[in-house]
Amino acid sequence: MTKPSHCSLGEAMIHQIARTIEDGILAFHGFGSPLVQLALHLAKRTHAPRMVLVAGATYGVNPSPPFLTPTSNDWVMDRGAECHLDIEGLFDLAASGRMGRMFLSGLQIDRFGNLNVTRLGQERLQLKLPGGGGGCNLSCDVAHVTIWTAAHRTPPDAKGRRRFRLVTDCDFITSVGHRTSEGKNRVEMGYQGQGPDGIVTELGVFDFDESGHARLAAIYPDVDVDTVRENTGFDFPVREDLSVVPLPTREMVEFIRALDPLKIHERELKSEDRLRSFFLA
Amino acid sequence: MSQAIYAQTDKRCDLPSLIAQVRSGDCVAIGGGLSSREPMAALRELVRWAIGNLKLVGSAHGIDVDLLCGAGLVAESAESYVGFEQDFGMAPNYRRACESGKVEVRDSCCYTLVQQLRAAIAGLPFMPMRSVRGTGFMAMHQEYKTMICPYTGEELLLVPALKPDVAILHAQYGDAHGNLHIEGPPVADILFAKASKKVIATVEQILPNERLAEVGVTIPYFYITAVSEVPYGAHPTACYPFYAYDRRHTDEYYRLASESAEAFNGYLQAYVYGCASQANYLEVIGGIETLERLASWQQGLEAWQALYD
Repeated sequence: MTKPSHCSLGEAMIHQIARTIEDGILAFHGFGSPLVQLALHLAKRTHAPRMVLVAGATYGVNPSPPFLTPTSNDWVMDRGAECHLDIEGLFDLAASGRMGRMFLSGLQIDRFGNLNVTRLGQERLQLKLPGGGGGCNLSCDVAHVTIWTAAHRTPPDAKGRRRFRLVTDCDFITSVGHRTSEGKNRVEMGYQGQGPDGIVTELGVFDFDESGHARLAAIYPDVDVDTVRENTGFDFPVREDLSVVPLPTREMVEFIRALDPLKIHERELKSEDRLRSFFLA
Repeated sequence: MSQAIYAQTDKRCDLPSLIAQVRSGDCVAIGGGLSSREPMAALRELVRWAIGNLKLVGSAHGIDVDLLCGAGLVAESAESYVGFEQDFGMAPNYRRACESGKVEVRDSCCYTLVQQLRAAIAGLPFMPMRSVRGTGFMAMHQEYKTMICPYTGEELLLVPALKPDVAILHAQYGDAHGNLHIEGPPVADILFAKASKKVIATVEQILPNERLAEVGVTIPYFYITAVSEVPYGAHPTACYPFYAYDRRHTDEYYRLASESAEAFNGYLQAYVYGCASQANYLEVIGGIETLERLASWQQGLEAWQALYD
């Protein structure tokens, strides 16, 4: 079989999320997050073989699912797990400081990495979102958090207004980033974890500066900084060493395709983003 | 106040008698999680009896909570998540009910729920934790308090004990005495069973106690109030190893629920009100052909994967 000559945007995002995972830590993915599930398996297969991979919903440890399913509490996703945690054991690991990394997303992501998956509308409830699962608790307790979204790009509506995904302030704070709505930082709040250290989107990658504010660190080969600016609801600093997002190897792309034959991860992407691809040198 | 134990020797009953344990206005904990082992037959019975004004508590749920919202039985939701993940997305009936104000939104988070249940299980008034402070949940839950830890001087959050009036569970196996065996992830079922005032369960199969003791007891009988043998009682969610998740049926559910409340009423007529019994329901969902399709995951990976196409 010939090796793939290109990778898709989804595969580039999976690779980028995988790069945030350190070897030897305990990492946990929640439910409803195929890009992250694939990233954890990719990391374990490549640079992080000693990572303790805990699967969301099943709480199986180091499973090797034969294919990705669209629902996470499924025996498919639990295949090959070497042991299992229960719900209290899993969250106790985070509360006691043993969980190294967790992955969170939101319908709103603010400049300090606070997330909203609870509700849109501050006074009146405009849109009830599904809720954050255990994200609220984990955002305080876990050592490091990777934030991701595949819906950074927000085209204007007929009246020219954009409903940004990356917003100045969330309508509701479901999980915490680097500064609360009252302006307190994580040390003042006494949170155990250090908070989010990156936001991976379909346009680029942010890190956080010393004040805890999102800062653009990298962009995809087909994106420019102005595009990121017009799709972001707040002004942001740009790293002096702004880079282009590194792409996965051909072997990594093959691994992802073999693990996700139903292309479940593409459901996270908008249809136009499913067409984006990058040449692998 | 001390919690009851249930010592009767034979707790077997039919589905209507099981559901008669639930009262209007009860705080209800539903077992299972997302697309697995939801006590769907019991919930459909609850809908047929129109036992409403319920206050739901739970971790990560989907069609179970959405069905009760669509039938108008829910007054308040303190779930952590209600949705259909990347499979179908947001829960249509749940959203409508929350946005119209019919359901009071009292969202919780998984560990907060765990700590509240653990307080109840240990007979304590509250449990402390570090998280949640600084989030929107503080304003949503006036019952949460903070205190300065007398040992470390740090600020902690206190969450009160949670004793649901009734937990509704579905397990693979049970015995007449009420012992339950859960295969695969127990989610919050064990915590719910230990913290709730009453526990009612449906099971795929009732086994003699000797057999159940061999496969292992996940929840001891004295927590269980009543048990009912209901094969395929979790459909359309999965109850492995018996059957996988019925994505095809869930697709139909989702299509009707997202269309409108009226269209969803059609679903309720066809699959809930129109089915007097579980046997009747199994015919309506496609009979033996559907049941064989859902058991086909055991034939190998190709057959298993085909269930998600």
